[in-house]
Amino acid sequence: MRLKVLTILWVLSDALLFAGAYVLAYFLRVGFLLSTDFPFGKYLLATTIVTPVWLILLAMNRAYHPLRNQRTAANAATMLFVALVAVALFSLTYYFHYTKFFSRLLLALAFALSAAIPWLWHILYQEVLRSALRRDPPTYPTLIVGITRESRSLIETLQRRRNPLKPVAILDGRGSTEKEIAGIPVLGRLHKLEETLEKLHITHLIQGSDLEQSLNLLGACRRRGITYMLLPSVLGIVERDERVESLEGWPVTVVTPG
Amino acid sequence: MRAFILAGGFATRLWPLTEQRAKPLLPLAGKPLISYIVEGIARSIPVTVSTNAVFAHGFIEWRSTIDHESIDVVIEQSKRDDQKLGALGALAQWVTQSHIDEDILLLTGDNYFGFDLQSFIAAARKDTALLAAHDIGDLDRARAFGTVILNADGRTIRAFQEKPRSPESSLVSTGCSLLPASILPILQEYAAHHPDNVGGIFEELLKRGKTVDCFVSDALWFDIGSFEAYLAATHALVGSRTISEGDVRCERTQCNGSVVLGKGSSVTDSTLTDTVLFDRCSVEDCVLTDCVIDADCVLKGVDLTGKMLRAGTRLTRK
Repeated sequence: MRLKVLTILWVLSDALLFAGAYVLAYFLRVGFLLSTDFPFGKYLLATTIVTPVWLILLAMNRAYHPLRNQRTAANAATMLFVALVAVALFSLTYYFHYTKFFSRLLLALAFALSAAIPWLWHILYQEVLRSALRRDPPTYPTLIVGITRESRSLIETLQRRRNPLKPVAILDGRGSTEKEIAGIPVLGRLHKLEETLEKLHITHLIQGSDLEQSLNLLGACRRRGITYMLLPSVLGIVERDERVESLEGWPVTVVTPG
Repeated sequence: MRAFILAGGFATRLWPLTEQRAKPLLPLAGKPLISYIVEGIARSIPVTVSTNAVFAHGFIEWRSTIDHESIDVVIEQSKRDDQKLGALGALAQWVTQSHIDEDILLLTGDNYFGFDLQSFIAAARKDTALLAAHDIGDLDRARAFGTVILNADGRTIRAFQEKPRSPESSLVSTGCSLLPASILPILQEYAAHHPDNVGGIFEELLKRGKTVDCFVSDALWFDIGSFEAYLAATHALVGSRTISEGDVRCERTQCNGSVVLGKGSSVTDSTLTDTVLFDRCSVEDCVLTDCVIDADCVLKGVDLTGKMLRAGTRLTRK
């Protein structure tokens, strides 16, 4: 519920910001007046038509996914790409409606503003979203299985960056003697799995070791509708050069040593 | 004489097979491991099984399936590892609470003893502790067990070392011993300070100048402490055959090596090699090698090697 409300607010605010960016571009280019040569009403109508398309494109590119980090270069590229498509669509819409062309600089300005303003807003809103989703009880209570350097580092990163996936417990197949990692309690071995999944209402499980138990962990997740994640280090992939691709429809993890 | 079987562990290393059952209740070649032990004990010897609150129900159910005159299940009120009394602690508590003043045949419930327990008991001398040992022939592996060093007479124990870093002997304690009534005060005193160290009692007896005899056996012996040990024990007991526990449907299937098919299981169009299926499993179009599949699993169109599957797992290739 918390996530739904926050996402709806996010999308609505985005719609306003996108339209606002185009309006700002208009006034910056035309001047702060309502021109009769280039009527604001027509301009606004075309913007209104393009706005939902821009929102759909963002959604299709998973821009509103709560786990997405908005600060990354990849995300910036997505925002630029979607803004570019939107501005092209805006030109076409305007031309098809009114069979008129207008200032190219205005288009460039609209493109720049509609990419930059929403992106900055996304970065800001992400902080609000993460803070709200991590508040107790967290929206995504996450169980970490296996204590390794990789999983330890992941836990610390999730905590430091306030990721919506909030680690709430750690289990270790080998029986670690550590009581906690980055403030997250180590509850014991895998025999506490069911109890932990049940009591803590786990929504995500991240496996960081104990490869031989992957089927059992996956089975437990399937039974309870929990999202299962596997650190590549469990398979011995530690150099961050892996990617998942499709080979004739078969998903495969690909490592191409550089 | 009384027999006391230690079955209070939570068996976390054999997860998920021990998620819902204690290790001594794991089926081994068609029947629970603990049944082999109890069947070896004379019917006239009362048996006490010590377990924890989590697995108590399983032992109470199992007791009704066993043909033995007197089996008592003592339930330690622990639900977690850190609440356990400890194996020796549980024994000492039982001795005190039940006013035991007889010799005790002490057995660990997660071991398979191939030797005859009657011969073992017969080898005991009055007022002398007796320990059964098995030569595993590998000093490296011996580090995981309590090791025994014999005197020149080949019968009495010179030293006992619990999980030594550098074992001097590959003769290891099997988890079967006989404690005479005369040493029970020492046991209680020692257990008060070392409740979890069963092997330590023999070190203590030797330290106090008591004689401890050794019964060396070369019969099959397994400590079912890991997946590999469980498969090895199954292989040794089943050999190169297939055991069907009843009401099993096995069609167009090739079974190689040691294969055990649990009650109500169904296997079709598959190849099973050194694999154990617990009860009510359904396997179709699969290749399973060195696998232990817990009860109520449904597998279709998958190839698995060296896997222990949790009860109720469903793996169906789409």
